[in-house]
Amino acid sequence: MLRCNHPNIARLLSVDEYVYEGMHLVTLTEEFLEGGTLTGKGEIAKAQCLAIGSSLIEAIRHTAGLDLVHRDIKPDNIMFRKDGTTPVLTDFGVARDLLESSLTPTWAPRGPGTPFFSSPEQLNNQKHLTDWRSDQFALGVVLSYVTLGIHPYLPDSAPQSHVIDLVASRRGPTDRFIANTKSAGLSVIEKMVAPWPVQRYRTPLQLATAWNSQEGAI
Amino acid sequence: MSAFAGAVFSPINSTEEEVKEQAETTSESRPGFETILDPQLYVPATERGNLKDWAYYPKDVDTADLTSPAWWTDLNEKLAGTVKALGINALCSPVVIPKVFDDKYYNRTVQVGSELANHFETEATQVLQTALVSLPELADVNRSLEIASMISATKAERIYLVLVGATEPRRELNQTDEIVGAMKLVDALESSGTRVLVGFCSSDVLLWKAAGASACASGKFFNLRRFTRQRFEEPKSSGGQQLPYWFEEALAAFLRQGDLIRARKAGLLGEASSRNPFCQEVLAILDEAAKSRTAPAAWLGISWRQFMYWFSDVESRLSRDKSLTDAILRAADANWAKLDAAKILLEERFNDGTWIRIWLNAINDFSSL
Repeated sequence: MLRCNHPNIARLLSVDEYVYEGMHLVTLTEEFLEGGTLTGKGEIAKAQCLAIGSSLIEAIRHTAGLDLVHRDIKPDNIMFRKDGTTPVLTDFGVARDLLESSLTPTWAPRGPGTPFFSSPEQLNNQKHLTDWRSDQFALGVVLSYVTLGIHPYLPDSAPQSHVIDLVASRRGPTDRFIANTKSAGLSVIEKMVAPWPVQRYRTPLQLATAWNSQEGAI
Repeated sequence: MSAFAGAVFSPINSTEEEVKEQAETTSESRPGFETILDPQLYVPATERGNLKDWAYYPKDVDTADLTSPAWWTDLNEKLAGTVKALGINALCSPVVIPKVFDDKYYNRTVQVGSELANHFETEATQVLQTALVSLPELADVNRSLEIASMISATKAERIYLVLVGATEPRRELNQTDEIVGAMKLVDALESSGTRVLVGFCSSDVLLWKAAGASACASGKFFNLRRFTRQRFEEPKSSGGQQLPYWFEEALAAFLRQGDLIRARKAGLLGEASSRNPFCQEVLAILDEAAKSRTAPAAWLGISWRQFMYWFSDVESRLSRDKSLTDAILRAADANWAKLDAAKILLEERFNDGTWIRIWLNAINDFSSL
């Protein structure tokens, strides 16, 4: 993480270890960001979605280039600089370096991350499939949720608790979601949240190019 | 060869000097013709031909831990060094045929391919991610997408796909689910933006082009020998003799000489054969023999060209219209019915056209996924 150096990624200031009541603990100290979280912004307009999405895709592009996967992209972990418009990806507490062995046991039912925003491969603890495209999925869910107010896989009438099963079983996005993204001019999100990594954008550059080609993108 | 876009060189068959010379000659005489090196580490413990004399070929291949990343890193460095001196256009990443095709195997081959691609980031030489995929695994379409997801993580822009199965020599693929899964794999990789070159193809070029493969490469001996582990383990031949085969598109089948004569009499040689100049050469030999009542002159070499011509011709037609596969197979199915009606049996017992309907069903199933 100390290798990261990007305006849309929180600067990691230090990694410290200490022992508390016999437990070895690791703390990450990140820079202080004054602009609040994406959660605090509530539902956002398309123009904001395009701008925030563009910046966060650049952040993912940077981490992917370092073979890092954040694994916990969600509105709470997206903060803003003092200007209130520059989004910053924070909390790399469960990030994984793909060049190192995974610490998640194979028997665990699912890998780390916040289930509501997690990709199918994370929910199924398929470490062999987890790479930057898992972050792409989570970002797609976040952007759908904060702009359209819906999770891509959740039917209209279903309770939110069904999301994990629907995503883990790779049901695919709902017709309602597909129709909404189309009418909002945000069709790129549909591919971002495809059930299998191979069905999403293959490279961060391809994702960035597609995202920034949408009508209204800067 | 003029219709082919490139060739895959084998270090088993050629020395470094020979490949270098061929690459130089080709780039002068055929600008745009792609020369690709396949390092051929598939089964290290078999007859290696010239392979052992290549600078990159590891001396410890029989004893090394092939799961060690450091071993592959070292191999990639040597391979990159060798290839940069050869002047070829492209290189397939090295892989072995594993005892078990599991997730770790696929992940490791992608790591090796990506690492090799990094060596050529600023070079004109392209790296193809070699992907040896077990056909039986693909009977589950979800497994196809899972494997495609692992393979597409490569940093290489192109995939050299080799389907490994247990189909016996001179037989056609005949498992519908496996074919559907393999077509889905090709489709998923192409849709993700990688370009797929399917290696060691035979008449199955019809299937992979229908699935959207950018290119297909013909295997040696028309791939009458399939890509199986045993392919590399055959004893040096002291007996047996290669027979000439004619590929007849109208039947989507390989014909022996006797079959060819019967099919011709029944009016079942198709339009693709009438356009193929090597078909005309073979027929002239047979006509001459019939006229002089002598044994026909050997046409093994011409049969190779006859197949190569058909392969390039059909590949080109399918690149323009991949739905042509369906039409070719439907016509072949109808022609097999005519053979049956005329009570013509082909000389090889299993050369009975039964795979045609399997392939048609596979294409239909694939289209409806």
